[in-house]
Amino acid sequence: MEKKENKRKFTSGKLLNLAPVIGMILMAAVFLAIAYMKDVNIPYSFKNILNQSIITMVVATGAVFIYTLGAFDISLGASMCVSALVGAMAYNRTGSLLIMLGVCVGCAVLVSLISSVLASVFNLPVFVTTIAMLSLLNAFALVLIKANGTGDVVQVPANAVRGINTVWFKLIVLILFLAFCIFAFSFMKLGRQEKFVGGNPICAALSGLNASKLSIIGFMMAGLGVGLGAFLTITYAPTLSRNTAGSVGMDVIISIVFGGMPVSGGARSRIYSAAVGSLSMTLLSQIMLMLNFDSGISQMVKAVIFLLVVYVSMLNSRKTILPR
Amino acid sequence: MKLIKKFLVMQLSLLMAICLSACSSGGGSSAEDPTAKTVKIGVLVSDTTSAEALSFRSYYENYIKSVYNVDFMYSDELKDAAAEQSAIDNFIANNCQAIISFASADRPAQIEKCETEGIYYAVATGTLTDEQYEQFKSYKYYVGAIGPDLAIEYQAGYDMAKFYLDQGYTKFGMFTGASVYFTEMHIYRAAGMIAAMCEAGNGDYEGAKGMDIVGKIMSEGGNVNTGKIGSVELNGVVAGYDFDDAWFGKLAAVANDPNVEVLLAVGSGQTAFAGFKPEGKMLGDIDCYTADSVGLMKAGTLNYLAGKFSASIGPIFAATLSAVYGKPIRTADGNAFALSQGYWIATDAETAEKYFEVDSSTTAPAYTKEKLDTLIGASYDDFAKFVSAYSFEDIQK
Repeated sequence: MEKKENKRKFTSGKLLNLAPVIGMILMAAVFLAIAYMKDVNIPYSFKNILNQSIITMVVATGAVFIYTLGAFDISLGASMCVSALVGAMAYNRTGSLLIMLGVCVGCAVLVSLISSVLASVFNLPVFVTTIAMLSLLNAFALVLIKANGTGDVVQVPANAVRGINTVWFKLIVLILFLAFCIFAFSFMKLGRQEKFVGGNPICAALSGLNASKLSIIGFMMAGLGVGLGAFLTITYAPTLSRNTAGSVGMDVIISIVFGGMPVSGGARSRIYSAAVGSLSMTLLSQIMLMLNFDSGISQMVKAVIFLLVVYVSMLNSRKTILPR
Repeated sequence: MKLIKKFLVMQLSLLMAICLSACSSGGGSSAEDPTAKTVKIGVLVSDTTSAEALSFRSYYENYIKSVYNVDFMYSDELKDAAAEQSAIDNFIANNCQAIISFASADRPAQIEKCETEGIYYAVATGTLTDEQYEQFKSYKYYVGAIGPDLAIEYQAGYDMAKFYLDQGYTKFGMFTGASVYFTEMHIYRAAGMIAAMCEAGNGDYEGAKGMDIVGKIMSEGGNVNTGKIGSVELNGVVAGYDFDDAWFGKLAAVANDPNVEVLLAVGSGQTAFAGFKPEGKMLGDIDCYTADSVGLMKAGTLNYLAGKFSASIGPIFAATLSAVYGKPIRTADGNAFALSQGYWIATDAETAEKYFEVDSSTTAPAYTKEKLDTLIGASYDDFAKFVSAYSFEDIQK
């Protein structure tokens, strides 16, 4: 009898773990139903959904390495803005897309490293250093734009990136990065160690894990995602301003939570959460748009659904035994 | 199992709610007469909360939509070029036939995209630069632009400063808004104000006069510096939209500076200065007509207002609709139009109230259906003549 009960609990737990994926599929079904009723251009919409979610997917997937540790980076959007600006300036001087990619990634990884190393050296919570970095990067973005001397924007010629501004190119970048992150998170000890530190830092320290080292690696992975996101942003919209990627920081948090991952990190962190959450968010936005909801109402509906998702994900948290 | 049921019930309720609201709003159509079919127009907006943005939206939603067979779809508040591209993609996916743009992070990219996708595109309350116009004027789907061009922005600033200089005021404070973010509109307005001071004070602004002041401000990173301009004094300047304590502190300091007689704002002057300004000090602003601005004029807090009127976006709507109906308005050379439109200026409460009454009307706004109907399929000359007669008195005729 007890065995049967345990099996039932195990099955329901597994299903609840899949809740974000089921939610995403349901969202896609709703989207298709409404699109059909409203005579929406469905192929274009799918292309549009991918276009709009891929950048967040890439950045959020990298950010999972930070969130798993129970840390929180508020400066991801600002870092992406600065990386894109520096990358664009590098392109304008060299005319090479490869150099632009390298500079975007290098700059983002460097910013991430500074955040995490500062936190380690001064023994500060990472969150605190990222707040400082946010102010610093916002100011730096203005300095870069001013130094470039082209008014309030930095531009890469649209023709230069038109060839790679395709869904296929973005999908390839996403798939390669996802594969790399899944390998590092699920098939290397890095993921397990991060989950341990995120779940119980004291236990992890007593077990000999170096939290600072893991934090630096986690931030580097996030930096990689931010750099690729910056590169993809330039290809999508090659006119950059101080507002570029302004909403990315918040989109990343929402995507990760929407994907069913606890913001507190730990054992229940999932590398696929960011991709699932980001796609669900974009689908939801498209549904609101098709219904021509006012922007304020859309935000409210999203907030309610956000709370609902967090509630459902909390249903699965076990109170008496350690999570698996 | 209970948990799974709970989850499924929630998901299904959500699905049902969304589907029900989808079913509730549908539209019928007829094939032959173009006016019989609802025309779907996407509106790109970079500002969703200012009084000006709300009054524009109100004109389209509460008047235009009630008298024309059109449906508007609005973007969220667009902050960068990527958001603009996404919004256009959204409109195309939702079968919008035209886009009216109030967003300017990357206008060339917007025009290119609409041309590629075969969707009409028009610029409201703004203009393209000369280079941009030359590049895009022959595009089939580029309808044109109507709005204050940079010369009008410069003149608006000049006229406002001159209004006070002519009364003998010589000590000024300025709010230069987004000049530090290199927003040209604000830089030109500020330059116009300083140019008027140079003329009246028989001096120069750090070696520059007239239009050269624009370049001077640009070279200073969009900052305007305080100092003497001949016999005129510019004793305080605040810029940016930080909305933090330090920013409000600076505004309060300039507003209460005994060496400042007149406060001039390139925009949002009511937000920036009105709350701090002591009685007796003058305030001029370039913004729009709202109940609040009329109230401030009645109270004597605001003395000069150069304001956009909400119906000013009527002609660009008519031109866009005309293009969708297959009657695009083109210049004699077959190009898209680029027309300028200025402000309504009120220097007393009575005038401001009169303007606001017409401007806020949802039944008889400045540009009514009867007036706009004359623009559908109009010749370029007739259209240009109509747009150029934008003063309150001309429109009332």
